[in-house]
Amino acid sequence: MRKSSFWTVYLMLTLFQLVLSNYGSFSPYVTISILPVMALCIPTRIKTPVAMIVAFATGLVVDWLSEGVLGLNAFALVPVALLRDGIIRAVFGSGLFARKEDFSIAKNGLSYVAFAVSMAQAMFLVLYIWADGAGTRPFGFNAARFGASLVVSFIAAMLSVNALSPSDR
Amino acid sequence: MPRRNSTLNTVISVAVFIVLEAAALVMLSRNDSLQKVWISRAGHAIMGKVWGSTQAVGRYFSLSSANRQLAIENQELLSRLLEAEEKLRRVKVDSMSFPVNQGFSLIPAEVVKISRGKQHNYIILNRGFEDGVQDKSGVITACGVVGVVDAVSRHHSFVFSFQNSEVSISARLGDEGSNGILVWDGVSSNGAILKEVPLQYRHHQGDTVYTSGHSIMFPPDIPIGIVGDSKIVNGATNEISVSLFQDFKALRYVSIVHNNSLDEIEDLQP
Repeated sequence: MRKSSFWTVYLMLTLFQLVLSNYGSFSPYVTISILPVMALCIPTRIKTPVAMIVAFATGLVVDWLSEGVLGLNAFALVPVALLRDGIIRAVFGSGLFARKEDFSIAKNGLSYVAFAVSMAQAMFLVLYIWADGAGTRPFGFNAARFGASLVVSFIAAMLSVNALSPSDR
Repeated sequence: MPRRNSTLNTVISVAVFIVLEAAALVMLSRNDSLQKVWISRAGHAIMGKVWGSTQAVGRYFSLSSANRQLAIENQELLSRLLEAEEKLRRVKVDSMSFPVNQGFSLIPAEVVKISRGKQHNYIILNRGFEDGVQDKSGVITACGVVGVVDAVSRHHSFVFSFQNSEVSISARLGDEGSNGILVWDGVSSNGAILKEVPLQYRHHQGDTVYTSGHSIMFPPDIPIGIVGDSKIVNGATNEISVSLFQDFKALRYVSIVHNNSLDEIEDLQP
């Protein structure tokens, strides 16, 4: 896959997320989002401030074009982009940045990628559910929503990660 | 150089992060009333913390003047209390057709120096004879007896602290109980011993000990401390331990008590 195709895939996944947000709400306990894995897979050559701006814009587009509250996805996604660098270094080591390579399942293994994706998903969902509830939902509801959303979103994210980070990119 | 670049990148990242998150929060608050209330409440909490902290710092630095103001108010209240008690006593005594004394006057003072670790402890106050202080005046606070003025200079007074083995004061057990001699126990910062209490007078732990009024230096009925354990001495009297109200470690502001009838009383004595 050519390097420039990342953004094409990214755009398509944003459209897919819009579909998920508009038609995938089958339970108040489940929020499906692949936005965190999209932010995590932004190529390592992209600096963190730029990655945050991309994440912010993506979040806004999803908020705007779905039935969400404007600013909610953006609010939860920007921290993931901020910590993208740290997560990648912590899970895959600093070598990726030195070689300006991106991670992939084929290169780094399923377990490492799954761990990094679950960290990003968890961080996003904690912020999203917390801000969405606005302090009005009981802790038990939020915890159940977090658990269910993490499981479903993780599966969706792992299906998307291969498209975003193919081994030949 | 790489470290400098790394620091710069971090600063830029944090700045961009703050700007983007702030923008997201503004949008959230403008588009949903629930989030608006939530963000506004969080903002108020943060502002409350910040302003509360700065106020606490400001208050800490103004503690000295606040303490001085409190000491003045305290002295004023003490003065009024003594005046009221004196009036009450006059009513009682007038009805029995006895002469009355002229009461006590108070001079507020601040502790300049205090010794505590010795057997003969002393206090130096910032009031002298130019302020009206005379020797043999008592020194009190709202929490009890502090000492006796031993010498007076122009602007300062030298006081024998109650925590001095040479100082003893006349004290009374409870409202109507027996009188005894109260002295420092010589060990603790708030311990005293009430001596020579006749055996026939009953007392209980927790009873309050007051100044008796039999001394020319201290007005009567100033609460001094609380009764603790007791023991019989020589089979004749009780010796009662007293826990003082006054904490000498925190002593800063006091009142010097002057008996207005002191000269007259001394003239009468042989």
